[in-house]
Amino acid sequence: MNKQRTLRLFSHSFLMLFIAVLSASTLQAQEFTGDVANGKSLFNGQCAACHKLDKKVVGPALGEVTTRRSKEWLYAWIKDNQALRESGDADAIAIYEEYNGSIMPAFPGLSDDDINDILAYTIEGSAPKVVPPTEGDVVAVQAESDNSVLLYILGGILIFLVFLLTRVKNTLKQVQGEGVTTLTQDANIFTRTALKNPRVVTVLTLLVAVVFLQQLYLGLMVVNVDTNYQPSQPIKFSHELHAGTNQIDCNYCHSGARKSKHSNIPSANVCMNCHVYIQEGPKYGTEEIGKIYAAIGFDPESGTYIEDYEQKPIKWVRIHKLPDLAYFNHAQHVTAGNVECQTCHGPIQEMEEVYQYSPLTMGWCINCHRETKVDVKSNDYYKDMHAKLKEKYGPNAEITVEMIGGLECGKCHY
Amino acid sequence: MAENKKYWRGISELENPEMVKALSEQEFPDQISNEEFLGNKENLDSTHTSRRDFLKYMGFSTAAATLAACESPVYESLPYVVAPEEIIPGIANYYATSYYDGHDFASLLIKTREGRPIKVENNKEAGINANANTRVHASVLNLYDATRLQRPAVNGQESNWSSLDKELMAGLAKAEAEGKQVVVLTSTVLSPSQKKLIKTFGARYTNFKHVSQDPFSYSEKLDAWQEATGKRALPMYHFQNAKVIVSVGADFLGDWVGQSVSGDYAKTRVPGKDMSRHFQIEAGMSLTGSNADKRYKLKTSEHGQFLAALYNELASAKGASTVSGVTSSMQNEAKAIAKELLNAGNAALVVCGGNNKDHELLCIAINDLLGNKETTVSYKTRTYLRQGDDKAFKALIAEMNAGKVGVLITNNLNPAYVATGMANVAEAFKKVPTTVAVTMKYDETAQISNLVAAENNYLESWGDFMAADGHYSLQQPTIKPLFDTRSFEDNLLRWTGLSADYHSYIKEHWNSNVLNGTQWSTVLHDGVYTATASTPMMDAVVEGLGSSLNLDLAGVGTRVAKEAKAIKGLEINFNRLTGMGVGTIANNPWLLEFPDPISRVSWDNYLTVAAADAVELGLRHWNESNGALNGNLANVTVNGVLLENVPVFIQPGQTIGTVGLAVGFGRVGAGAVADKVGVNAFPLMAVAHHAEVKVEAIAESKHEFACIQLAHTMMGRDIVKEVSLDTFLASPGKTEDHTGWNEPPRFETHKGALTSEDANLWDDFDHQTGHMWNMSIDLNLCNGCGACVIACHSENNVPVVGKEEVRKSRDMHWLRIDRYYSSDITTENAEENGYEGLGLFGKGATDMYADMEVPSQSPEVFFQPVMCQHCNHAPCETVCPVAATTHSSEGLNHMTYNRCIGTRYCANNCPYKVRRFNWFEYHNNTKNFGDNYAMNEDLGRMVLNPDVTVRSRGVMEKCSMCIQRIQLGKLEAKKDGKALKDGAIKTACQSACDTNAIVFGDVNNSQSEVFKLKKDQRMYHLLGEVGTQPSVFYQVKVKNTTA
Repeated sequence: MNKQRTLRLFSHSFLMLFIAVLSASTLQAQEFTGDVANGKSLFNGQCAACHKLDKKVVGPALGEVTTRRSKEWLYAWIKDNQALRESGDADAIAIYEEYNGSIMPAFPGLSDDDINDILAYTIEGSAPKVVPPTEGDVVAVQAESDNSVLLYILGGILIFLVFLLTRVKNTLKQVQGEGVTTLTQDANIFTRTALKNPRVVTVLTLLVAVVFLQQLYLGLMVVNVDTNYQPSQPIKFSHELHAGTNQIDCNYCHSGARKSKHSNIPSANVCMNCHVYIQEGPKYGTEEIGKIYAAIGFDPESGTYIEDYEQKPIKWVRIHKLPDLAYFNHAQHVTAGNVECQTCHGPIQEMEEVYQYSPLTMGWCINCHRETKVDVKSNDYYKDMHAKLKEKYGPNAEITVEMIGGLECGKCHY
Repeated sequence: MAENKKYWRGISELENPEMVKALSEQEFPDQISNEEFLGNKENLDSTHTSRRDFLKYMGFSTAAATLAACESPVYESLPYVVAPEEIIPGIANYYATSYYDGHDFASLLIKTREGRPIKVENNKEAGINANANTRVHASVLNLYDATRLQRPAVNGQESNWSSLDKELMAGLAKAEAEGKQVVVLTSTVLSPSQKKLIKTFGARYTNFKHVSQDPFSYSEKLDAWQEATGKRALPMYHFQNAKVIVSVGADFLGDWVGQSVSGDYAKTRVPGKDMSRHFQIEAGMSLTGSNADKRYKLKTSEHGQFLAALYNELASAKGASTVSGVTSSMQNEAKAIAKELLNAGNAALVVCGGNNKDHELLCIAINDLLGNKETTVSYKTRTYLRQGDDKAFKALIAEMNAGKVGVLITNNLNPAYVATGMANVAEAFKKVPTTVAVTMKYDETAQISNLVAAENNYLESWGDFMAADGHYSLQQPTIKPLFDTRSFEDNLLRWTGLSADYHSYIKEHWNSNVLNGTQWSTVLHDGVYTATASTPMMDAVVEGLGSSLNLDLAGVGTRVAKEAKAIKGLEINFNRLTGMGVGTIANNPWLLEFPDPISRVSWDNYLTVAAADAVELGLRHWNESNGALNGNLANVTVNGVLLENVPVFIQPGQTIGTVGLAVGFGRVGAGAVADKVGVNAFPLMAVAHHAEVKVEAIAESKHEFACIQLAHTMMGRDIVKEVSLDTFLASPGKTEDHTGWNEPPRFETHKGALTSEDANLWDDFDHQTGHMWNMSIDLNLCNGCGACVIACHSENNVPVVGKEEVRKSRDMHWLRIDRYYSSDITTENAEENGYEGLGLFGKGATDMYADMEVPSQSPEVFFQPVMCQHCNHAPCETVCPVAATTHSSEGLNHMTYNRCIGTRYCANNCPYKVRRFNWFEYHNNTKNFGDNYAMNEDLGRMVLNPDVTVRSRGVMEKCSMCIQRIQLGKLEAKKDGKALKDGAIKTACQSACDTNAIVFGDVNNSQSEVFKLKKDQRMYHLLGEVGTQPSVFYQVKVKNTTA
């Protein structure tokens, strides 16, 4: 929620900033030395909702803003544009009017250094890019060659040893006056002798049987256990970007998780709350975001919804699926149990593409119910029960889900 | 001699020796010789597949198939594009609406999930008919009936709305030009807006007429009220104020004049000093009669005489003028009842059934003598649930036959089905150039109409109702129309040329005429609105004020005597079954499988006959070796109309000389499921609800019944405990010295006499910590109506198995209502009747028990709802080899379907026989269980509750005490961080029960109602001697009789 509000505030603020910049007479390019990396992250976090470097969105394009405005003016505008307008600054009023009175929020929290960093990024980011070979690639190649060279050497040594030993054996045989045997012949003789020994056969049979049964058991235990299932989705939506970088709260999109048994996939209109403004992604540009527009019927050029559009639902591929015989309720875990989403869904904020983190087997559920402690003190629902539980398990006992009946069949199967 | 004997190996050999001979000569027919197969070298060489190759291919394809099968299917998950604001997937929404089908009316809450209506709940805020009956509870399924009309039809061909509108407008113009009548024929119109709209529509035509006819007419009752009070409307009955209730043939708990009174009646049935006494005088065994404190058997044709006798007794006591020429076969009883009524004064109530003006006039006069005006009979608040007019309907038919009617529009009424006993409807329809049936089904009337306007289901439509003075209700759609259908009112608006939709039409009417400043949205939310005194009473429904009384009883005495004499032979009474009513929503597998509370027969209607008459007529019924009930068939003739092959059911309590037959069955065009069930009794029924009848047994005939109860008496056991009110008031149920009327069974042990709870080998569970769910069922309040059975069905996705399976006792009801009759022989009176000892020299114990199985011919009736008793020492749990049924810390007996392997040990070990086994796949099994479209059609499956698993073949199932509701209730409390309130969780059966007979709650909460009930003197456990310590307990039935 907070994140959402912040985004909207920032979007408006930068809109205003750009208006101001555009309407002002062109200024000489000024010196803005700052940390471009920090500037980029600040820009993405606070400005990108309304501004782009190369394109007018909600607010004006910010590339080359430094050529249009003075440093002082920019500081004043960004920190509190309303105050600047009220002071009677003609540029500020003009840009406010140009963008139909959309209000850009004030950013009193940004220091001059921060603003410098952002502005440095606007200069740097709009400059033509030269893409150097990335460091990671080089490292990977080197690591690979290192390993293989070592393996080749080892292999060579082994072959050499075999060759050496064969020669030694044959020389010895020649010395004793016996016939020379090849390596294959030796192996055959050994196998035949071994297989005639009943003990060896028994041990071998047992070994094979045990391994086979173990593999069969393990194999059967993972039937329909889809850990790491990572289907490709119709939209290359990145949780890493949304939940990780932008730190949008899980519940903002998956609002059902707090109230209902389902943690719903957000409907397209929830996406549009932000993507009315954010029309381009950092990785796939307009292509993936365009798929939302195609579903809901939004024209990014005019920024309006197309009337009488035949909306098409987005066909996401379901990753987490419990069998119908098991009842699972998100609200029970998220709201009543205060369980973090990540407990079951893993480091979702680091997943570019979501995969199934947990096995979702009954053993896994049960295990968690055995270990997880219930916060009986902060919820009045447990008040009476807690008093009796203390009598039963001792005053200082930690109450687990199991103790309040969380392992009973009918709690999940009905 | 012995060598001449010939033995047959079977009946077939005896009957058809030729065939057997032919078969025995060729024991292995069409043998293929190995030589022939392998000897043909040429043939073998020409094939390129060697045995090795064949095995290789086999091996490869098996392996490939196995590998291919390993891939998990990909599931898509489609969110809304634009999510509706009020829908959160997984959370149910409730909408207040109303049900009215021309016969039944109720105010409801509809539970919807993701936009699908799935369950009917009672709207307790309504001032009238707040309680849905069995049929209304099941009505949600009819929404998903694929045999509904999906688009309009013109001249028998599927068509579209514009051509239908065109045809009709042409018909209307032609009728107007030729000076013929335009007629709207409906059932009772309850809706003020609809009435106004019909008027507006009619104003466009010179000869317009609106005729109302009820499917089960009470027209003469209304005539009586019009004559007596000047207003053609029935009064509202206040049963809750009655101390003595006398019903002469009125089945007011079952199906009567539309007002739902069972909740009010139950309020007077709470044992105590103020408990009411209920006398029932009736011919057949009705639901009401089975709940009466005292029931008298009397032919319906003699009801008038009885009422007149009762009137005379009261009149002479009060000094009023009596009716002359009165004799009654129940003169003494009339005297005794009159005394009781006089004692009760204005807290007495006399009601009568039937469609007879004289009976009703006598009833009005009696109530007037008792001075109960406004206490139990309200003249000020009238009900409008029945407004039909037999005379107007007959006049209409005459005019139709005379060719005076140009256009006939029917709605909410199926005259070609319900009125066939009154007139030749089909013939009359032929004389009308344009007939329009506005209906949901291609039913009997639609089949003889030129134009068929496919109508919305009630869950798809707007509507408003005024069921009684000042009691308004709204109907709002809970889903968009599933098919290309229009509501009757939308049709009328269009045909009148108005552009408004019906929603805004109602809203406008309400805002200007009804609401008096109250917000429309508030009323829409509540679903009901009770007008205050200052609100103008809407008299658009029925004209007249009717508060004064103007009675003329002259000649009544002779008329009722004539009526009694008119029937010389056997008398037939037409009634309605609890599960079917008049058959409006007949195509409903839930209702068809619903066992009738009295007969316990499902999937049928039948002629109820008294045992004595059955012997005389040569009729019998018998059980097959597996317990299935069979009966004879009979031909029934009334007024020259013959109804063939009517199944005969021998009914204890049926008055000798009378038979009963329910209407609502034998449909044509109601839908695939209903059409094949039962016989149609409507052609036999003219104006009166009884007639003289000729019954001819069909020799050697056999009808297969689906009767789910085999033992009809308790055979001397304390299954339903009963006590008289006197005893109840005079002494406690449980005493120190174990002499109370409700003592738990005790066993002699070395420690003395112990209850099963104390004489106990088992370890107890901890039931002090957390919740302990218990349920109390008050046998005094339960009237056996069965609304809970249907509510349970729809809440828990209970399958319907069909008639054949029910006959094999494989019915799946999680909740059943056992019905027991008393027998003439009891353990107390056995000795007087000559049963002694083991019966070595005469009648003994074995004979006694055998005779106890025979219900009395004037039985007392007991109803007992039985579901899983959730035993705390459960016999089922100990025998399950896979621990699929286990005990919970909250006192419930859990059933885990995915763990069950179907040994059925648990069902065998259950003393209550409440476990149900899935012998087949009842869902997605169209071939065998297609009748149950709720589980076998895509559309029907929309009614399933998504929170409850649909069970698969081979697993056991049973009542879970609505664990999904318990879990939800607990979760809501946890989410709010508050203690769970008593009453926050209601099981489906409990919330459907309009008499509050079922109370569910946490007995560890000492403030809860169920805690108090557990401490009650009347509390007992079913089969307490078994020592199962159930979580369900019952309250002893108290009959208001002097012991």
